[in-house]
Amino acid sequence: MAAETAEKQSFAVRHHFLLRRLHSLSGIVPVGVFLIMHLTVNASINVGADVFEENVERIHALGPLLIPVEIVGIFIPILFHALLGFQIWFSGQPNTGAYSYGGNFRYMLQRVTGGIAFVFILYHLWHMHWLGNSFGGGFFDHRPGAAASTAAEAMQMSIWAIPVSVLYAIGVIASVYHFSNGIWTSLITWGITVGPSSQRIAGYACAMFGIVLGLVGLSSVRGFAKFDANATTETASHADSVDSNETLETQAG
Amino acid sequence: MSRKINVAIKRQYDQSSGSQWEKFSVDYEPGMNMTTVLQRIAAQPVTSEGKDSTPVAYDACCLEEVCGACSMLINGKVRQACSALVDNLLEDKPDQITLEPMSKFPVVRDLVVDRSFMYNALKKVRAWVPVDGYFDRGAGPKMSPHEQEDMYPLTTCMTCGCCVEACPQINERSNFIGPQAISQGVLFNEHPVGKFEEDERMEALAGAGGIADCGNAQNCVKVCPKNIPLTRSIAKAGKMATKHAFKRFFGS
Repeated sequence: MAAETAEKQSFAVRHHFLLRRLHSLSGIVPVGVFLIMHLTVNASINVGADVFEENVERIHALGPLLIPVEIVGIFIPILFHALLGFQIWFSGQPNTGAYSYGGNFRYMLQRVTGGIAFVFILYHLWHMHWLGNSFGGGFFDHRPGAAASTAAEAMQMSIWAIPVSVLYAIGVIASVYHFSNGIWTSLITWGITVGPSSQRIAGYACAMFGIVLGLVGLSSVRGFAKFDANATTETASHADSVDSNETLETQAG
Repeated sequence: MSRKINVAIKRQYDQSSGSQWEKFSVDYEPGMNMTTVLQRIAAQPVTSEGKDSTPVAYDACCLEEVCGACSMLINGKVRQACSALVDNLLEDKPDQITLEPMSKFPVVRDLVVDRSFMYNALKKVRAWVPVDGYFDRGAGPKMSPHEQEDMYPLTTCMTCGCCVEACPQINERSNFIGPQAISQGVLFNEHPVGKFEEDERMEALAGAGGIADCGNAQNCVKVCPKNIPLTRSIAKAGKMATKHAFKRFFGS
């Protein structure tokens, strides 16, 4: 056991640079790209339930390939990024008290938002992904006719409607900040923005990008929080059946 | 009659002993800096309560912010005592000035710290040009005035420790070599003769504790008393490390 840990440590030390660069890369491709896709698809609820469901259908057209794509393209990269990220977080010693510079606050926020985003993603998986099914969650049903209404139902569960929306807003803001600021630091890491003026311009560009993506993300949260799931009887009855399933499972558990 | 300045100093007898605060009152003189204050305390080491004490140990040398010896935490922030003017400090905080040794280095005594960490980091990145001087090799390679202008600021580093002190990535839990060593590594990588050893330097810069451990808080460039473009050096080192990694992966 001890020998195994020693070997692991030496692996981490030997490949320190590679691991850190993979950490930087994985945050943008695929995790960041997925974040953009995910938030824009969800924001399409504001255009209409049919548009949203069309977009969801396009993703699920992958069929049986979707699970391996999800595991290799999303879960493993996020887990790798998060685990190394926590290690990076704990190897630092924030000192914004003594050195209250903008960059130092962004450094601190990058770590805090990463942590918030990770916890939020775990909750979000339980809440909306079928992985949450076995734990009394997984309220989202991707099938056409159910996708928009089940997502909205999940956001509007009686007294939880406001707390869940607030939680989603926090999760979206944290993820988007972490991604936008991460693009800014990765441009330095890879040696693309070298001088202070290019870093400043990149800073404005990343801030603009973050604001736009943040608004897209918040609009999707609002869209589902306000969506009237009972507008059509078909979706309503489906949502009811999901609700009763959930009750049964809870009782059984 | 005369105005007094209150100074609280975090004192420590030696590396192994604990620290405690001691307060002194010093007569105000116009234009005095913190080194002067420490000289006055050394001349009359009596605390504010009138208790006999010992002179406060401190490093100082050039007294014009080019040697870096007198770096310490003044009102909680790292800087040189010689260029910290009492008038300015009192403007920010009239009641008391605090002095502490830098926190990232082992304390030798009082405000004196052991900065071997920085010299070891310079050794790791081989921050020198290897010339043995046995033979006259003729004129060295030419550098354009533009290159000289770029490199000159990096040569003004005085290993004072401000960037190391302010860097959140340097602490007991990390092996980060720090901004100063990275910047010196970049300086010698860009030197026409020094670049022959670029690969050896990159082993350290792209290894554990190297450039990858930078967290981009960019405190270093803010606290550097010589205004060295440390973040530019860090980004350059990142670029060099990217190239080095590709070279190593595809070239060998």
